[in-house]
Amino acid sequence: MNKIKNKKIIELKEVWKVYKMDEVDFPALRGMNLEVNQGEFLAVIGPSGSGKSTALNAIGALDVPSKGIIYLDEKDISKLPESELAQIRGRKIGFVFQSFHLIPSLSTLENVMLPMIFQGISREDRINRAKELLNAVGLSDKINNLPSQLSGGQRQRVAIARALSNNPEVILADEPTGNLDSKTGAEILSLLKKLNEEGKTLIVVTHDERIAREADRIAYLEDGKVVKVEKK
Amino acid sequence: MINDYFLLAFKSIRHRKLRSWLTILGIVIGVAAIVALISLSLGLQATIEEQFEAFGADRLLIAARGFQGPGSQSEGITDDDISILERMNEFKTISYGSARPGEAEFKNEVKFPSIFGGKNGKELLEDTTDIAEGRYIDTGDDNDVLIGSRIAEGLFENEIRIRNKIKIAEKEFRVVGVLEPVGNQQDDNTIYITLDAYREIFGETNEVDFISAQVKPGVDVLSLQEKVKREFKRQRGDKNIEVVTPTQILEQIGSILGVVQAVLVGIAAISLVVGGIGITNSMYTTVLERTKEIGIMKSIGARNFDVLAIFLIESGLMGLVGGFFGVLLGTGISLAIGKFSTEAGFKLLVAVNPGLMLFGLLFAFIVGMISGSLPARQASKLKPVDALRHE
Repeated sequence: MNKIKNKKIIELKEVWKVYKMDEVDFPALRGMNLEVNQGEFLAVIGPSGSGKSTALNAIGALDVPSKGIIYLDEKDISKLPESELAQIRGRKIGFVFQSFHLIPSLSTLENVMLPMIFQGISREDRINRAKELLNAVGLSDKINNLPSQLSGGQRQRVAIARALSNNPEVILADEPTGNLDSKTGAEILSLLKKLNEEGKTLIVVTHDERIAREADRIAYLEDGKVVKVEKK
Repeated sequence: MINDYFLLAFKSIRHRKLRSWLTILGIVIGVAAIVALISLSLGLQATIEEQFEAFGADRLLIAARGFQGPGSQSEGITDDDISILERMNEFKTISYGSARPGEAEFKNEVKFPSIFGGKNGKELLEDTTDIAEGRYIDTGDDNDVLIGSRIAEGLFENEIRIRNKIKIAEKEFRVVGVLEPVGNQQDDNTIYITLDAYREIFGETNEVDFISAQVKPGVDVLSLQEKVKREFKRQRGDKNIEVVTPTQILEQIGSILGVVQAVLVGIAAISLVVGGIGITNSMYTTVLERTKEIGIMKSIGARNFDVLAIFLIESGLMGLVGGFFGVLLGTGISLAIGKFSTEAGFKLLVAVNPGLMLFGLLFAFIVGMISGSLPARQASKLKPVDALRHE
């Protein structure tokens, strides 16, 4: 079984990201290089301030780099206008955040349906797909609950279902277990791993060694650069 | 897609109930004020038109210049002027008369209602006012009176019925008829007598306040108006007499009413503007509060346009809900005022106006959208990363 395809889905070339903070420029990424193959599970590890989240945001088209090129599925996304970036985020990327980031006024089902609204998918298809996904993450009995009525682990399951709604190629998770106890965290991790085994490219930013050990490769970041890549 | 945005906006409004309702209240008040004021002034217009319609358009109304209505001092019209009209053959009936406040005594109670003395007044009254009880007075009934509805009931402590005796300026009259309410205090508070009796008790000789001359069928009122003016000028040698048609008076009242209406609606519009500012304020707060939510929506594929649309619809929806309740409230208020006013003796025909209601709704929706446009724009322009990081 070879889940990792011989195709680069993500490639960062000399990527710089410089934040302007008042009068001082702060470079969060300093010429970062990284390659991820399709179907791979990559863990990104590093101390706080090393640029992990900045890198993830750049890969996920949430932000454009100050310099350098980012290829996503062989397309340069480093200089695209916001409207095209939004399309890429909606179709190719599924985000999972540390603090879940669900919309509090919407039910579980509606939260999962939301990305599909922005892609203009019909209501009927949206409902069916959302129910299917919630079933897959084991929450079929909570579809009408509001996020506030769910536990942390359940919320993260909803977030994962939402990330999958437009069937993206890449799942980007930023400290997905950071707000969960270790048992729930392990459950979320195995859910993510299952998705990876089913063919999704998975990049997880973490400082949890246990997560990193599960990955195919570990990229170590320091001062906005990949300093070491460890293959399992 | 748009109806999905409506649903999203609706959920968001419902999620922060109290503030949404307070914001909406501002619009409710503004719309209610506008709808009520327009509805009332339309009612006033309808009432005036109705009274003039009963009067008929085939008339010439002639009064001395400066004449402001029954009771004011007449200067100028005399029996000679009436003779001028009587010599012309275009008129069917020439009614004329005078009015002034006079002392009326019933069962030792003295009041000062308006006394109207009319010649050929029967024809004039028959056209405008129905009789409730008894009959109209006619030429020669110099000892009889016809009384308005409020004279019969309300002015004096005791109710006046037909065949009762009433003293006007020390002369005794017999009540032969009571009129139906007209709907305005002035007319309902009038005692009608013949012009001869009027001249006798007030010691007048040959002056009258006004003439209302009904034109024969087929005669063009406007050209007759010109002819009468010319005739008066030639025979009297002055231009001290005003000759108008009921339509012209109606037009004049209409234009005055239009100005009043514009001023009132302008004032009401201020409260709607304040309501709109309320929406803007609330939407800015919402954008701040939901910065993170905006970031989330963008991270899962929302374009700037989507965010803009969701927020615009949200503010428009608040306007619409406010408009809905405002229209109901405004219509309710105007109907209540109309009813109250009519009961109090000033007839006001206020009707439910579907066009006005629809206008109120649409207007409120648009005000909501406009008020929300700046905050919505701000929301849509937020950078996804910054928005997500917002706490």
